Amino acid sequence: MSPLEAQQRGLLDLVKGRGAPPDDPYLKRVARSRELAMVRSIALWWRAYTLERQCPFTAKLLKREGRFDALVTAYFDANATSPFAEDVSRGFLRGLEAQEGPLTRAVARFDRALIELRMGANEDVDLAWDRHPGDVFAAIESGARPPPAEASCVYRMRVLAPAPGRIECVRVALGAAG
Amino acid sequence: MASAAPERLSRARPALATTYEGDDPALLAKIAPLVDVIEIAPDAIAASDGAHSALRRDVLDEYQSVAGEVGFVAHGIGLSIGSFDGWNEDYLRLLDGLFERLPLRWHSEHLACTRVAGENVGTMFSLPRTDEAVDLVCGRVDEIQRRYGVPFLLEHVIQLLPDPPGRHSPAGFINAIARRTGCGLIIDAYNLECDAHNQGLDLDAFLDELDMAPVREMHLAGGVELNGFRLDVHSGVVAASTLALGRKIAARAPNLDLVTYEFLKEAVPLIGHDAICAELKRVRAAIAA
Repeated sequence: MSPLEAQQRGLLDLVKGRGAPPDDPYLKRVARSRELAMVRSIALWWRAYTLERQCPFTAKLLKREGRFDALVTAYFDANATSPFAEDVSRGFLRGLEAQEGPLTRAVARFDRALIELRMGANEDVDLAWDRHPGDVFAAIESGARPPPAEASCVYRMRVLAPAPGRIECVRVALGAAG
Repeated sequence: MASAAPERLSRARPALATTYEGDDPALLAKIAPLVDVIEIAPDAIAASDGAHSALRRDVLDEYQSVAGEVGFVAHGIGLSIGSFDGWNEDYLRLLDGLFERLPLRWHSEHLACTRVAGENVGTMFSLPRTDEAVDLVCGRVDEIQRRYGVPFLLEHVIQLLPDPPGRHSPAGFINAIARRTGCGLIIDAYNLECDAHNQGLDLDAFLDELDMAPVREMHLAGGVELNGFRLDVHSGVVAASTLALGRKIAARAPNLDLVTYEFLKEAVPLIGHDAICAELKRVRAAIAA
């Protein structure tokens, strides 16, 4: 490994908060430095800023729960984040859809549907909610506690591709859902 | 192309440029009559569908709408000319697309690394000032100068992380690359102020040592101070000290063609259209033609 490769790989690990503590004297100095903390905080600030703009509902929901910054940090550290805002957002949201509970999953899927449609996807997106989505969005916007899940029904939402602002939603009683 | 001299803009004093990254036609309409050149960051006007990135046609149309009034230069962010494992081919595809669509007087990139082992680092690493880095960058500058028929300029970036060991001084490192490749240079007055503040860079010694003949463009910007660091966020108007340094650089750079007031798209609401226009007039009066 050339000195340049060793240095750049080491700096990447430090900025991403990965890997074992470095042995190299320069990287050790960087690891202890307040400059590294500043570089990392700038990188994280930009990711958070991007996600707040691209995934507004998810970001607000996670902020209300006090988890936004920690999840952004975890995503940045663990992933090769794209320089493109849409890709960072898609990746972040997909991660939430895979790991989170039904509410966060649905909100993340909704934000991702809007991104896909803004980027020109031409297929409608279907989502299922375990509580009234209108009430969820109202709570997110006002900062209130989201409504609880409704055991007796599911809300089937369709975000329409030709007009991403248009949404259809029907309430289906669980007994009649199949 | 390695020894090609950048085409002068035929002005006794440098021309004036500014940043525009699309989606704000009202701003474009205000700034176009005030500048000679628009600086375009190909990566900043591109979007990705998850698999491929492409220049946004709507933004290209915006540039086209003022092509009769202004010229254009490209200023990249993501080439990553200093990565140990190769530069970013995706960026070059975007640049190819921009060249196909608009007449670019020249293009430029940061003397930095934004990708490591194919992974975007989320920031910009300056390069160690070693012979290894000089050799690597020079090979790539030669290649890029052969690839495009217009001049290529490199811009130094701020050194925020602790300074790595290296054989060359800050100015000597830039001189070595410019002399060997014949590329042009961009000097960013605000970046130099950041380095003076954060790293104790001796500005007079730097400017005394730097070969000013390749300097074709100068950047001016404003930023913020946070936790004792001066940061190059391009989020404000140009401080009086930066403008004074810019005048000093302009006086020493015999081939300076262009002075660019840079601001981030995200900072436009903060700065305001009127303040941006006032800033362009101020910079023109102070330095440009």
